[in-house]
Amino acid sequence: MELDKVSFRYSKNKPLIESISGIVPTGKILCLIGPNGAGKSTILQLMAGELRPISGKVTIDGQQVFEMDIKKRAQKIAVVAQRNRLYDEMTVEDIVKTGRSPYHGTLATISNGEIKPIIQETHLDKLVDKSINTLSGGQQQRVWLAAAIAQDPDYLLLDEPTTYLDIHYQAELMNLIKKLQKEHNLTVVMVLHDINQALKISDEIWCIKNGQKVYDKAPMDLTNENILADLFNSKIKVVNIPQYGPYVIQIPE
Amino acid sequence: MTAKQKYSYTFVIILLLITILFAMLLGTQFWSLSRLLAAFSNNQGNDFNTLFTIRLPRIIASLLCGGMLAMAGAFSQAVFRNRLADPSILGLTSGGDLLIMFGSLMFTLNPFAKWALAFLGGVIALHVLVNKTVLKSPYRLIIVGIALNLTFVGIQQLFTANSISSTGSFNAITWNQTLMLLVFGVIGLFAAIFITPWANYLKMSDEKLATIGVSASTMRRGILFLVLYLASNVTSIVGTIPFLGIIVPNLARYFVGHDYQTIVPFSMLLGAWTLLIADTFSRVVVVPSEIPVANVMTVIGGIFLVLMLERKDFYGVRQS
Repeated sequence: MELDKVSFRYSKNKPLIESISGIVPTGKILCLIGPNGAGKSTILQLMAGELRPISGKVTIDGQQVFEMDIKKRAQKIAVVAQRNRLYDEMTVEDIVKTGRSPYHGTLATISNGEIKPIIQETHLDKLVDKSINTLSGGQQQRVWLAAAIAQDPDYLLLDEPTTYLDIHYQAELMNLIKKLQKEHNLTVVMVLHDINQALKISDEIWCIKNGQKVYDKAPMDLTNENILADLFNSKIKVVNIPQYGPYVIQIPE
Repeated sequence: MTAKQKYSYTFVIILLLITILFAMLLGTQFWSLSRLLAAFSNNQGNDFNTLFTIRLPRIIASLLCGGMLAMAGAFSQAVFRNRLADPSILGLTSGGDLLIMFGSLMFTLNPFAKWALAFLGGVIALHVLVNKTVLKSPYRLIIVGIALNLTFVGIQQLFTANSISSTGSFNAITWNQTLMLLVFGVIGLFAAIFITPWANYLKMSDEKLATIGVSASTMRRGILFLVLYLASNVTSIVGTIPFLGIIVPNLARYFVGHDYQTIVPFSMLLGAWTLLIADTFSRVVVVPSEIPVANVMTVIGGIFLVLMLERKDFYGVRQS
């Protein structure tokens, strides 16, 4: 996937994204970080083909993502949103099955067998018949992740998947994402607001500020206090924790 | 199918059969079981006539209308993502009523023309109802629907000031009407079973559906068309029957769960039963006269709806 001078704004508003270019590294985990309102989620939506760039292109193998047939696109790109609104009760099984719809007609019945491997991989075996509203936040995210994997995509886009989770579920979900990425050979793009999570999991990091890409670096090159201070507009210290590695903390001025 | 679902289906089917039997026995004259059997076997007698020209078409018509209305209600709830939606409360059926009234002031209408006008009235009401502001707030949708409904009813009353409108009852229904209803109803039933998976998809947001390669607006249009089709069949025969489309699918959820693949067929059976009971009651309660079935449904349905809404575990719209 390649971004070529992509810009975006909602009509008449000031630009949200300004001329972002870059190649999403295939088969790797790319994280987008930056202050709130920088445009990270908008970039993810542009990559997903949910928004049309006002100029520039997002392409996969030379084909513009926004112009792809939605079914074909869903076979290539899966999205896990920050929060998934449901208007009615759905069981875990129902939700994971919807992930198969890019490969069937919408009127088809999808068999249990088709989603069984994914259910096992995401450890949802015991929850299949439960209504998703009865599950914890961490379990719910696992269900949406399973539905995304059921799409058998090349690209998995996640928008702050750990936001509403406690520290235990955050680690669990991150490990699962890493495992699935390896096993399914996925290209993952993830918006994270926790820089330390990003440093730990990603192969490449794009720093977004005011709708622009200010850095793209490997995580190790980003543990530079000056760069981070500039990015987040605050005093930053990077400490080295044994058996963990560099850890970023913000120091009160 | 779970055990609860099996029991529920068995229960409603038995209930339906018993009620059909009673509906055949009851009328201006109350029959015994042996008289009913005799009426079936003697195809020259008066009883045979009563059974086949008065009671049976009426029973079949109310079963069909009840089933179609309940399915229309279930699909409305899916498409508007609101468990209080149904064609009568949103003004779709009274829009049809109004056009039929205007039509019959000018022409003599055959059943098909009535159906077409009922459908068209629904389309017009839907166009007024459906816009972005209204759809954004689930309660605004219901309030605008109610306002629209009352407006249509009000206009209709301006023209039919002193006479109770001819609709609102299955009285004097003919075999022609019943057969047309049967054909249209069977088509509707097949369409409903075919299209039900879409109702389940609409439990998810449009944005999410787009990412799995599914167009929410196509589904919405398909289901809305079916809702109007089903509702207009009923409207063209008996006019607006209130509340049934809200209550029955919500009861169905209580018995068979939240999957539209089971809600829709169960609602059809339960709706058929509900309207048959209401109609049978309406024709025997003040024998030899009768009261419009719509009034019976208003009274029973109104009370039931209030009780349902006052329950703590009822939610109209899921917010998360």
